Formats: sequence, structure tokens, C-alpha cells
Amino acid sequence: MISFQQVSKRYPGGVQALSDVSFELGAGEMAFLTGRSGAGKSTLLKLIALLERPTRGQVVFDGRNVGKVNRRQIPYLRRRIGVIFQDHRLLSDKRVFDNVALPLMIAGVSFGEIQRRVRAALDKVGLLDKEKMYPPMLSGGEQQRVGIARAIIARPPVLLADEPTGNLDPGLSAELMQTFLQLNQTGVTVLIASHDLALIKRLGQRVLVLDGGSIIDDLPKRQADRASETDG
Amino acid sequence: MTTCPNGKLIGLLRPMVKGKRSWREVGATGFRAWIRRHAFSLLSSLGSLARYPLASLMTVGVVGFAIAMPLSLQLALDNIERLSRHWERLDTLSVFLDQGLEQATIDRLTSRISTWEDVIAVDPISPEQGLGELSAQLGFAAAEEVLEDSPLPWVLEVTLATDSDRASIMARLGTEQGVAEVLADLQWLERLDAIAELLQQLAWLLAGLLAGGVAVVIGNTIRLDVQNRREEIEVLALVGATAAFIRRPFLYSGFWYGLLGGMLACLLLYAGLFSLQGPVNRLGQSYAATFQLIGPAPLITMLAILGSALFGLLGAWLAVGQHLRRIDP
Repeated sequence: MISFQQVSKRYPGGVQALSDVSFELGAGEMAFLTGRSGAGKSTLLKLIALLERPTRGQVVFDGRNVGKVNRRQIPYLRRRIGVIFQDHRLLSDKRVFDNVALPLMIAGVSFGEIQRRVRAALDKVGLLDKEKMYPPMLSGGEQQRVGIARAIIARPPVLLADEPTGNLDPGLSAELMQTFLQLNQTGVTVLIASHDLALIKRLGQRVLVLDGGSIIDDLPKRQADRASETDG
Repeated sequence: MTTCPNGKLIGLLRPMVKGKRSWREVGATGFRAWIRRHAFSLLSSLGSLARYPLASLMTVGVVGFAIAMPLSLQLALDNIERLSRHWERLDTLSVFLDQGLEQATIDRLTSRISTWEDVIAVDPISPEQGLGELSAQLGFAAAEEVLEDSPLPWVLEVTLATDSDRASIMARLGTEQGVAEVLADLQWLERLDAIAELLQQLAWLLAGLLAGGVAVVIGNTIRLDVQNRREEIEVLALVGATAAFIRRPFLYSGFWYGLLGGMLACLLLYAGLFSLQGPVNRLGQSYAATFQLIGPAPLITMLAILGSALFGLLGAWLAVGQHLRRIDP
């Protein structure tokens, strides 16, 4: 689903965020991306969603070289990727319902269908009773879950999350991770950047470790199937 | 395994096919989806107008006043032109005849001129009549008694058809036997025409300038709107909105500003007409005539409103294109 081939990213001003990163993430796979802050986790996610373009190497998404996608095609690529941000990126002057409905409105889905799917998504993250509220009225965890509902509403095959548990208490973090695991079980490819090592260890999923812009370790899933194991 | 079940083959192929085809198929397509997206943009634009009612009203106000200016000038000119046409029709040529002509000669001349094309009527005024009118106008009836022998010549008042060639008829009259002089006090009418023409040009110039002004004012409002909604624009882009989709509500907003401004301008114009009708009537009465101010033609009104809306759209287009490029999330 996602493949990095010797990808480097240098920001204008000379900061080398990623250097020579290669890995594969198969369809329906789940992985964590970890490392200290500044290791390049966010940059890696941004390259997939085309929020940045690689300086060198190839990022292949769904069989297409992302670096070669022209500007007009970018929105359609982004619709196939649900992105969850640490700072939620919700619109504070729009109700929870409208925030979650945004990707569907963009796609021109009928209102009846929007209503049905927004309710389903909010139900999935346990916020069905909050649909009429505005994001600032919700707790940090609830806002994060609104962000997840928005990311999954259009049923994208890939879900990217940048520090989704960044400022949540451990209980909420664990709960949120369960949500991601469930989504992964429905066939969604999930890549989560996080530095919550204890939590990641407990979940036993594949872990990519970034340091100084390079992948220094690729720990396989701690379960019976070791098929997805690759060298770091 | 030498045989491959069809289902599995298709299952393997599908993602590849999908990968090669455009990603555009994600999301609803077709006319209905297009309508829904537009409806969303339209509602969004109205929402943003309603969110800051004072700012929106002020923009609409500026646009309204800007449009009202050339429109009212145009209207004033229309009225002046109509009035001057009215005066021209009343206007006659005064043909002064030589002194001491016989009555029969005068009659012959009168009947001959009245057969000319473009001549509607010929009205001979005897020296006595002329003196009578003069003394009545000047207010000394005694003049008749003092001037036993009237010094005034016969005068033929010639009324011409509206669109006749005044100059050639005047020249022709001048060559007639017994005609001393042909007078037409038309200069002031010509001047009025010239002034009206000048003002007409000015109105067009003003209209052009203010249309540009409308585009700039609306463009600036949209620019501020784009800045205020920067966060929203970024989020929209993140969840896969196309540039056209992001741009559309702003274009609608520009259109609304222009449309409402144009309507306000027409409203101002009618209010002005209404307030002027009284004084104009009184002025007319003093001339023993009825002047009726005419309002703008429906076509002009429609064009003004539509034009204003289009310039609003143009301003929004320029501003939003510029700013979306700069934000580029």
C-alpha cells in the first residue's frame, strides 16, 4: 500500500529531516512509527499525504509514485488517506456533525447518506450524543475522537495518525489505540506516529524506529504471522 | 496450484486497475454530486455573509453608493435629453421679411413655404401683432400709441418637423425673395446638447472607474475573509477538497456582495427620484408645463445589478486566487 524507496527530505534552509528511508507497508497492515521528537516522524507522514514532497527517492502509494502526482490530482489522493493530527485540526466554529461530515460534503454525497454515515462514525468513536456540540466544548480525548471520525468517514483505505495520544491520559490513550486496532481489523492500513513506547510495546504491533531521519529498527508484529517481517 | 479461480484473479487485479485509473472516482460523481457541492458552497457563502452582518452591510453599502453614482448621472442625462427634445419641438425659426412688402407677397410667400417638406406650420405675424406682443411682454402698452408707424417688419414663424435638417432649411429660407434674415435661437440648445454629450462620456468613464472600484472593494473584503478562514481552508485542503471547491464559496460571496450592492444602488436611485419628484413638479408648474421625471429603464436597472454582481465575482476571483496560492497548504 505504502512503499518508501530511498526517500530523503531536506527542508529549505538545510534541515535534513529524512535520509535514505526505505520500508514497505502492505495493504491492511498496521505499524507504529516511533522515535524522539525531531526524528522525522511527522515528515514521513506528510510525505505520504503529499503535505510535503520528497527531495530524493520515491514514495509509492497505492501503486502510484506520489512525487509525480500533479497538483490537480492531490485532492483525490488525500481523499484516500485519513489523517489524524495531534492538534485535532477541527473547525471550532462548526458543530461536531459538520466537522465529521466535511470529507463527504467535499465528495458531494447526498445529505441523507451524510447523516447516516456521520452517525455511524460518531457511534464508532462513542460520541453520538455530542454531534450538536462545538469542538471547544469537548475534552481533548473527545476532540481527538472527532478527528478520528472525520478521518474514517470517507472509508479511506489508509489511516495516518500523528501523535494521536499526544496529550491524553494513559487510560484514554489505551482506549484510542483500541479504536485503531478495530479499524485495522476491518482492513484499513494504519500507520501511527507515537513516542508512547510503553503503550506501543503492549500492543505488539510492527514498529518502525526512526532516529535522525533514518529507520534504525523495524520490529515485526509479535504474533504468529511473521510474514510482514522485513529488514531494517 | 495450476488453476486460478476467477474470483481470486479478479481480486488480485482490482487494486492494480484501480491504481492505474484516476483517483477521481473516489467520492460521488456526476451531476447530482456537482449540484450538492454547489449547494454546499452557496450555503457556506451565505453563512459567512451572515456571520459578520455589519462588515457585509458596509461592503454592500460601498458597492451600492459606487454603482449609484454613475447610474444617477446617467439618469439625470436621460431626463435632460428628454426635456431638450421637448423644447426643440417647440422651437421655431423666425423669418424676418423686408420692410414695405405688400400683403399679397407676404401671403404668397407664406403659402409657398408651408408646402415645403419638413415645414409643419407657417405663422405670419404682422408688425402690429408683433408690437402688441412686445409691449405686453415689456409691460408698456403705451408703445403702440407712441409708435404710430410700426418699425417692426413682418415675421414668419416657421415650425419645423422634429428631425428636419434645420441648417439647410435656414439657408433655403435665406435665398427667398423678400426675406431679410432668418433667426434661430438654437445656440443654447446646441450647447446643452454638447454639455449633455460631455456628461454622457463622463458617466461612462465614471461607470468604468467605479466598476473597477467595486471589484477592488469586494476583492479586498474577500481577501480579509480568506485570511479569517485560513484555518478552515487548510483543513478543507487536508481532507481532500479541490482548489475549485475551496475557491467557490468566496466566489459566491463576491457575487452576493455585487448583487446586493447593485440592488442597493437601484434602491437609492428610486429614493432619489421620489424625493425630487415634488420640486420638479413645482418647477414645471412655474413654466405651466408638466415635467415627469423618468426612472431608469428596466434594462439599465438589470444591467447595473448584473454588472455589479459580475464585477464582484471578478474581484473575488482575483483576490481568492492570489491568496489561495500564497496559503497553499
